[in-house]
Order: sequence, then structure tokens, then C-alpha cells
Amino acid sequence: MLKNWICRGSSAIPSVLTFWLLVQFAPFLMAQAASTGVLRGSVTDTSGRAVADAVVTAANINTQQTQKVTTGADGAYRFELPPGNYRVNFEAPGFKPIEIPSVTVGGTEATVLDGKLEVDQEVKGNPASIQQDNLPNAPSSSSTAPSLSDLGISPEQTQGNAREQALLDKRTHMLKIHQRMGLITTIPLIATVAISFNAGGKNTSSASRDLHAALGGLTGDLYGITAYYAIRAPRVPGTKKRGPIKFHEAMAWIHGPGMILTPILGIMAFDQKNKGEKVHGIASAHNPVAIVTAGAFGAALLSVSVKF
Amino acid sequence: MSKRILIALSFVALTAFAEGDTQWILQQSTLTYHVSHPLHQTEGVSHAAKGKGVCHAGQCEFLIAVPVKSFDSGDSNRDLHMIQVTRGAEFPLVTVRTRLPESDAAASTINADLEIQFAGQTAHYKQVPFKVEKQGGETHITGTIPATLSDFKIDPPSLLTMPVKNDVPVRVDMTWRPQ
Repeated sequence: MLKNWICRGSSAIPSVLTFWLLVQFAPFLMAQAASTGVLRGSVTDTSGRAVADAVVTAANINTQQTQKVTTGADGAYRFELPPGNYRVNFEAPGFKPIEIPSVTVGGTEATVLDGKLEVDQEVKGNPASIQQDNLPNAPSSSSTAPSLSDLGISPEQTQGNAREQALLDKRTHMLKIHQRMGLITTIPLIATVAISFNAGGKNTSSASRDLHAALGGLTGDLYGITAYYAIRAPRVPGTKKRGPIKFHEAMAWIHGPGMILTPILGIMAFDQKNKGEKVHGIASAHNPVAIVTAGAFGAALLSVSVKF
Repeated sequence: MSKRILIALSFVALTAFAEGDTQWILQQSTLTYHVSHPLHQTEGVSHAAKGKGVCHAGQCEFLIAVPVKSFDSGDSNRDLHMIQVTRGAEFPLVTVRTRLPESDAAASTINADLEIQFAGQTAHYKQVPFKVEKQGGETHITGTIPATLSDFKIDPPSLLTMPVKNDVPVRVDMTWRPQ
């Protein structure tokens, strides 16, 4: 009876295994998304001019752990922090420091906090020149040091694009999961191909076929997850594809349809075998299609792993 | 008498010329970063740097800027990954500032203190050696900046779960001409 249940339920085995794997990997996948938060913004003076080299300090209110960053030429700063409440300080030579007592950094969306610094009247001189003098290689005089505008670089070219950065972050995040899932998929894929020698010959047992079918199903399900993260990863507008990624994507046009066709042919071959028939008709293409599919998958993996 | 006045005036004029501001323009450049991965050795190249030097009272202030997106490693996927990890969309420029004595233009090697702003961070590199060659009216400068990812708080990008090495030396090949 158990054997009958296994035979009838063999198609369910991959799903059960996949569910088990998803349960195992769910915390890992969720941790990818929620382990760090982003605190970013820009520091300007009261006239709205960017303050470069301002020191921004974020201190976790609970753990007292402190991180510091320095603003760039455009006054922008960015932290990657564990989610929590932070005390944030902005300091720059020639300006009054300011403190924000509590800022909440979440795990999903970036928290934006801008600092507007007032000139410290007690400090004589131009804040900009005081800042410059503090830099080891600073120009001796701001009147002679070349600026970005002297290089023909417009203010627009120096401006960061937070939306594009978020797009890139999401893309990398999804492609990292794609890579990892692709590697994980390789394991049952190889096992399925290895076991196929005992599953399709004349002297095969139904147990070997069941195991082959189960591993094949698992491979297909994991492949589906792998493909999802590649397909859904956002495209970056204006990027022309160059290099090994073109071959990697071309291979997907072979192993993608192959991963759909192989199990369909496999089910047909499986049924014929279980009826005691020799695999015939279109089902006999299961083996070559599977080999081409596995080969294309391997080539796709190697194309981005090894430099030829 | 008039001869002496002429010589004196010439001397004054020459002195004034010597003390006046001179400028250097970056004519062409090749900046190459090198990344080491257990499976790959990769280089990204940019020819898009812009630079200017202004000399005053014997000191020259140089500024060089290059867009992060201009680096090409031959693989668009890798380049996008590099832009992402280096926060290239938020901080689109790498800037290098240095100050050198004007007399260094005649030397065969110079040691420069560099201030580099990249990925929202500022790092200082002391006494980085550069080779200087005069070619006609142009000055050719080559050297390597010993940059690391941690200098700019960049998480090492990874391929197949294996991260790249922290060292990312940047080879510099620049041609400057006085203006």
C-alpha cells in the first residue's frame, strides 16, 4: 500500500521537498532583505549650499555603537545600519554642531535625514576655507584651487541619484539570490543526471525511477525560483549588455524551455515505464533534451564563473 | 642708460611672469582598477577623467575627477555590480586632489599626497610615487594608487558567494600639458 502511495504520490514528492527547502531557506531569504537599514541625506548650510567633509555620527541608542561618515563634495552621506533608533550628530568646522536625539532606521526603506548647519559666529573666517585648511592636501588658498566647474563638470553631474541607487541595490540583491539558488539547483541537477542511468535502462527498478523523478522535480522547482530572481531583477535603463552575460542569457533560451520540456517528457516516459512498456514516441526525447538542458545550464554557470 | 632701463624692465617682466599663475590641463588619461577574485582577475578602465592644475607661488593644486560609471571592465553585468557596491549612483564622481611644488614638474619621480573622495568617503594616501616623463611640451605621469575597498567602506563585491580581495590598486597613466 505504501508502495502504491509512493507510486501515485511520486509527483508530489518534489513539491514536498521544495516546500521543505523553502521553509529552510525562508529565514535566509528574509534576512537578505531585512538585516540592514539605510540612513542617508545631505548636509547643507543655511543658504542650501552643500557642506563637504562634514562629519555625521550615528549612535545606536540601545547598544551605544557608533558609526561615522564624512560627506562628499555634494554634501551627501550614507550609513548602512542595523534597524533601530539612533542619535545623529552633524559637525563641520566653522559651523555649529547639531544633534538629532532620535531617528528610527527601518529594515526596508531608507531613512532620509538632512542636516542644515548654521555658521558659528565665534569662529572667524569663511567656513569653506576653514574646512579646506583642515585637509592634509588642501589647497593653500581656495582662490587658486581648481573646482569641479573648472573641469567643465556641471552641478547636475555631481548630483547623486538615490532612485537609481535603490534600483541598483534591488538588482544586486535579487541577482545574489539568483546566483545562490543557481548553485543550489546544480546539486539536485547533477544528482538527477547521475541517477538517470539507473532509471531509464532495461534493468531498472521503480524505486530508481521514483528517486529520479523526485530529484528532477526538485531541480525544476529550484530552477523556477532561480529563474524568477533573474527575470524579476530590475533592468537599468540605458545599459548596453557586454561581455559574458550575453552568453549567459543566451543559454537561458536553451535551458529555460528545456526545463519545461524535460519534466513533461519525463512524466510520459515514467508512465510508459510503469506500464512495463519500452519508452517510445516523443517520450524517448526525454533523455537527449535533459542532457542538452543540463549542458546549457552548466555552460551558463561557467560563463560567468570562469574567465575564458 | 636706456639699455640699463630695458634690462631692468625685462627682469621685472620675467619675474612677474614667473610668479604668475600657470595652469596644467589633463590632456588624456587611462585609469585602470584591478580586482582579484578567486576565479577572476578583472580590470576596469576609464579614459574619461578630467583634470586641472593651478600653480601659484611655487605650489600647484591639482584636481582630477572621473565618473564612476565610466569604468569599463568588458562586462556590463560586472560594471553595474561595481557601480552598486561603490554607491556610484549616489556619488557619481571620484575626485583626486593633491598639492605639489611647481619644481616637481622637472623631476623624474614625484611623491604625492593624495586626497581621494569616492563612494561618499574620503581617503588620504601619503607619498604615492609617480614616474614623470617629459615628451615635448607634455608631461607623462604613471604610477599606482594603492587603494583598498575598506578605505572607502565598500563591502567587497562577490561572485558565487566568494568576495573579491580588499586590494584594488588603481593604475594611473596621464598626460598633462601646460596652458
